Amino acid sequence: MNRLVCPFCGARELEEFLFHKTLPEAGASEYSAVYERTNRLDDSLEHWQHVHGCRAWLEVRRNPSSGDVLEIRMIGGGRN
Amino acid sequence: MRFSFDGREFLGQRGDTLASALLANGVTLLGRSVKYRRPRGLLALGPEEPNALMTVGETPTVIPNVPAPQLVLRDGLNARSQNRWPSLRFDVASLLQAGGGFFGAGFYYKTFIWPSWRAYEGLIRNLAGLGEAPGAAAIPPPSIEHLACDVLVGGGGAAGLGAALAAARAGASVVLCEREPELGGELDFETATVNGASASDWIGAVRAELAGRGARVLTDATVIGGSDGLVIVHQVPGGLAGRDSMYRVRPRRFVIAMGAVERPIAFTDNDRPGVMLLGAAERLMVRYGVATGQRPLVFGNHDRIYAAAARLVGRGIRPVAVIDTRAGATTESAALARHRSVLERAGVLCLAAHAVLSVDGRGGVRAATVAPLRTPGAARRIECDCVLVSGGWSPSVHAGLHEGGERRYLEGNGAFIAASQPEWRLCAGAANGALELAAALAEGFAAGERAAREAGAAQGAGPVPVASGDPEPRLVPFWRSPASIAAEKRQFVDLQNDVTVADLRQALAEGFVDIEHVKRYTTLGVGTEQGRTGGALGAGILAELKGETLGSVGASRTRPPYHPLTLAAIVGHRAGQQLRVLRRTPLHEWHEANGGVLEPAEFWMRTRYYRANGIDAFAAGIVEADRVRKHGGVVDGSTLGKIEVAGADAARYLDRLYLSKASTIKVGRSKYMVNLREDGMVLDDGIVLRLAEDRFLATTGSGHAEHMLAHFERYRDTEWSGAEVALANVTEAWGVIVAAGPASRAALGAALGPEWTARIGQLAHMEFADGMHGGAELRVLRASFSGELAFELHCRPGLTVGLWQGLVEAGLPPYGLEALDILRVEKGYLVGSEMNGQTTPGDLGMDGLLKLGNPCVGVALLDRPAFREPSRPKLVGLKATDGKAVILGGAQITRASAPSRSLGYITSSAYSPALGEWIALALVARSDAAEGMNLVARDPLRGGDVPVRVTAPVHFDPGAERMKS
Ligand SMILES: [Zn+2]
Repeated sequence: MNRLVCPFCGARELEEFLFHKTLPEAGASEYSAVYERTNRLDDSLEHWQHVHGCRAWLEVRRNPSSGDVLEIRMIGGGRN
Repeated sequence: MRFSFDGREFLGQRGDTLASALLANGVTLLGRSVKYRRPRGLLALGPEEPNALMTVGETPTVIPNVPAPQLVLRDGLNARSQNRWPSLRFDVASLLQAGGGFFGAGFYYKTFIWPSWRAYEGLIRNLAGLGEAPGAAAIPPPSIEHLACDVLVGGGGAAGLGAALAAARAGASVVLCEREPELGGELDFETATVNGASASDWIGAVRAELAGRGARVLTDATVIGGSDGLVIVHQVPGGLAGRDSMYRVRPRRFVIAMGAVERPIAFTDNDRPGVMLLGAAERLMVRYGVATGQRPLVFGNHDRIYAAAARLVGRGIRPVAVIDTRAGATTESAALARHRSVLERAGVLCLAAHAVLSVDGRGGVRAATVAPLRTPGAARRIECDCVLVSGGWSPSVHAGLHEGGERRYLEGNGAFIAASQPEWRLCAGAANGALELAAALAEGFAAGERAAREAGAAQGAGPVPVASGDPEPRLVPFWRSPASIAAEKRQFVDLQNDVTVADLRQALAEGFVDIEHVKRYTTLGVGTEQGRTGGALGAGILAELKGETLGSVGASRTRPPYHPLTLAAIVGHRAGQQLRVLRRTPLHEWHEANGGVLEPAEFWMRTRYYRANGIDAFAAGIVEADRVRKHGGVVDGSTLGKIEVAGADAARYLDRLYLSKASTIKVGRSKYMVNLREDGMVLDDGIVLRLAEDRFLATTGSGHAEHMLAHFERYRDTEWSGAEVALANVTEAWGVIVAAGPASRAALGAALGPEWTARIGQLAHMEFADGMHGGAELRVLRASFSGELAFELHCRPGLTVGLWQGLVEAGLPPYGLEALDILRVEKGYLVGSEMNGQTTPGDLGMDGLLKLGNPCVGVALLDRPAFREPSRPKLVGLKATDGKAVILGGAQITRASAPSRSLGYITSSAYSPALGEWIALALVARSDAAEGMNLVARDPLRGGDVPVRVTAPVHFDPGAERMKS
């Protein structure tokens, strides 16, 4: 994986994006959400920001072992 | 064209490489081997050349290890051979081996162990190594170009041209890259026809058609690596760094058609100048018109050697013999019969089931010893002036081994191809094991058509070009000629690293059986050419020595880059100012013109001190800080991070991001606020101003604005999406001047005039006034980072210099970062040293803020038992017990009774002119952090041990009387 397809800007180099975190499992406690990330090999739900582009926060579902991006979408409805 | 080699002047032809020009001038000794300093000539005609490596140019643009056959001649070229002292012909180190003293694998480590390796290392390092590092080099960085296409074809030989042609005809956008300056690959010298035309005519026609169809053809361009749909191509016109380009190509499909590298056969003294790969000699003759010798002996293990020998005859050079290791071709093809009859008529001795055992001659080849393989004792001597050897071909599969690609052994070729390719990669031609021209071309064409179709091109590619050329090689793997155990020390496998068959045998005897271990123990294939010729040979011989098949021994892993790169080529433009942005404040020129000593800090250029105030930062900082307390001064605060937060939900939104509430701030007032990370650690602090009911200005630490903006945006857009909040980083929209000290209010009045004087006079601590000055917006905030009465002036950048100048003229001299730091340490104010990402609000003495009970981000995780343990750090002040000693940041804090158990460390320290002694802030375990405790600041590398006493973090004016005055 060396590119992400931003829903607004299209396919861009990975260096334009900032990885933030792998999302915790639903219902995780605050402690677990911060410290106990499951590291799933096949399916990882992550937050990224197109920080050197449109600055949208993106939810990226990908397969870390193959590098395939399964789904990418903008989170929420921020404006600027 | 004139050029020089080792100081001698020569003439060459345009289009020559250094290798061809030197050989044309009769120079065959081109280098010495790295370990034994044996004389070496040219073996190969590409980046796989192990020995003819040159150092080119003069300091500071000297480039070592350039393969002579890659280096295109240009007028005035200055090249030098390597690994010799004092000269190529007379090398001192080669005397070391005059008595037959060959040292095997592990020699250095086993021999030079008393008294220690270090005692010998200097001497050995002088003699070892490939070329010389250029030191500080001024080689211009390459340009970087991004390309996207349907089909990328790597390799411009028969298969690659076929692939590019098919893909372009099918309607795909095509990029073709070829390592050599010319397209064609082996079509160059093979006696071939394509669609009835000569190979060279066909190449020309393909080039024209590709251009007509809009394909991009890059020559001198090598695929050096790539995965995940990204292929890196390095273009080096003329073979020399400094004029190179990088291409980052994103094809939908990638056809690997990069051919194969011919490999030699090991025999005794097979490293002598004059022993050359057959294909290299053929290309030298066809492309450059240089004959390797007049009486060549051809040696190999396949049918191609007859075709090549017949071509030599056709060019008027009669080989003295053709030595075939095979027991005789089982079926004679028509082409083979034709070649054989040419040789027979010319009277060329052809011997089957024979091998070259050794060659005679030191600086060149005088004769070869040839023997039947069944009875090696019955050897005969054949006079010759060169040995052209071919042991088969190793496919160039490096680009097919990333991203899950694996090697697969092809029994018939005695070689590995790349299998298990991801769907975007295809291999074709000799790179895929197809060694016969018609098959390689057809395979390339089919791969190109398929790649185009998979990339979405809809048209057909039409009929496959029909080609005929050299016969199928029908190779029978043969790695080395018979030799005595003693002679194995002179059977060279890897010519660049002087690895011999004896070394491989020794590695096995010592238990290094895996190919990867053998590689590391013997250095097989670790040179600049990465074992392109020797690696395959070594693996084949290793299999023989182990009694296994090459398929089971395998080959060592290859890694990008395919050929050596300068660091400049990797770094590209990302160096110097392009690497690290340095911003200048609106006052930058003023500081420079007025003795400010500027230095980079947090991506800004900031003034450390002013030269007029002392000879160095330490002296000047004390003078400047002292003057602020006694009188006043101005400091450039423009680097302060500033984020505007606006919208109906702005107040509630900020409440959730800060430890204290923004919603309780009144318009026109401000508050010191602290952010936490989600794990509860302090992230940043700053003053938040309420500009309007629905508008705030949040200030951040210098250099933190970008990070904090992302933090703010994240919570707005992910956790609380839908919040009616707009965010803008306005850091560079405002210049900031801080006027501090008892005289600051009067000076402001003088500089700003009566209207502002009245307003400033009414400002309470943490209150601000907005207005206009000189036709632009001005905001004056009464707040202090020094503990003195102080005002922050936020003004538009264009107004900054004038205001600053006015304040200086009104009696506030400038001060720099050094003084700023002294003042804030005196007051116990925090910076990144204390808010280091590992400290909680509790650690930093912010209990008052915590007690407010605002449930902001990060608070939930503060309620953890570990944060209440006695070992948890607490921010304290420290002073030397004797009131004199120097205490420095970084010193470890211990009890006197337990000097090796650290309780914490000094985060900041300063000499305080106000108190006349050294003071510090430190993080010390709670168990020992009570005021009055006597501890030791241990600083063994700088100052030794200093007894210290714990104090409150606020060293000066604890009641904060001064800033409220
Ligand atoms: Zn975007």
